[in-house]
Amino acid sequence: MENIVIKGAHDVFFIPNVNFDYTACKCELGGESYLEETTKFYTPLLNWLDQYFNEVSMPLTFDFSLTYFNTSSSGAILNILNKLKSFIKSGLSITINWYYDSDDLDMKEEIEDYIYSTDLQINLIPKS
Amino acid sequence: MESLDTKQINLFDYHHIFQNEVLLSYKGPFDSIVLSVLAKYIELLVEKDANASRKMFKIFIELAQNISSYSSEVRPSDGAKIGQLAIGETPDHYSLVTGNLISNSDVVPVIEKCEIINSLDRDALRKYKVEQRNLATSMEHSHIGLIQVALTASQPIDLEVVHIDDEFSFFTVSVKVNK
Repeated sequence: MENIVIKGAHDVFFIPNVNFDYTACKCELGGESYLEETTKFYTPLLNWLDQYFNEVSMPLTFDFSLTYFNTSSSGAILNILNKLKSFIKSGLSITINWYYDSDDLDMKEEIEDYIYSTDLQINLIPKS
Repeated sequence: MESLDTKQINLFDYHHIFQNEVLLSYKGPFDSIVLSVLAKYIELLVEKDANASRKMFKIFIELAQNISSYSSEVRPSDGAKIGQLAIGETPDHYSLVTGNLISNSDVVPVIEKCEIINSLDRDALRKYKVEQRNLATSMEHSHIGLIQVALTASQPIDLEVVHIDDEFSFFTVSVKVNK
């Protein structure tokens, strides 16, 4: 399998930073997510996770550090979390961290709502 | 298509509507390029207050995307959805107002959704958002835009609907963000 590296951009739409590295057993999703075609962007990321689970299946760390996402992206992120949850249920060890700006209380609530929604353990890590 | 006859247009009709300080008013296509320019401008307008700026930007994107997706007024030349936007400022808050045509068949569902949103306290509204997001069947439309707008504003959403004819109504959404 191959790693996915996408450099984020803040243009007409906002493309998040993606670094899915199977050799380091680490996924990073950060920056801002407001996309022209949300499904088209996130489907390869979801497929990568399936492939990682099937072919690598080593303990994984998933670091979120999104500073903004629109509600369309919020549905895609939920799909990622639900997938991680299904892998954990199947026995894969996954650590999920979410770094957020300590001033951004709305973002803290968003993460708490994902925890409520998925029942996943997500480590909230404030940054000053 | 009707031609634009300047003699029939009097912008004074709009002048009295905006008694408070109007930072921006716009009517036209809500395509992605226009959205990006307006979003950038809104960030600059409220730049001095990082928290309000972030909130105004988030609210604008959700309401503008609703117009891009659902407005019943369409520019014939390219199919771009048409809508209106006004940003205002008072000493204690910013306001963001959008307007667009909608089909009469969409009026009742939207009003009902807003009534639910405005009836819930913050914790219940967050739970409602989670429930609605779990129900979404596509990643493109999560149908939680208005809920997120209310959460971001921390205020009720004000909705006005004016019946136009058998087919369409004009739909105005107003939201405030405290300074």
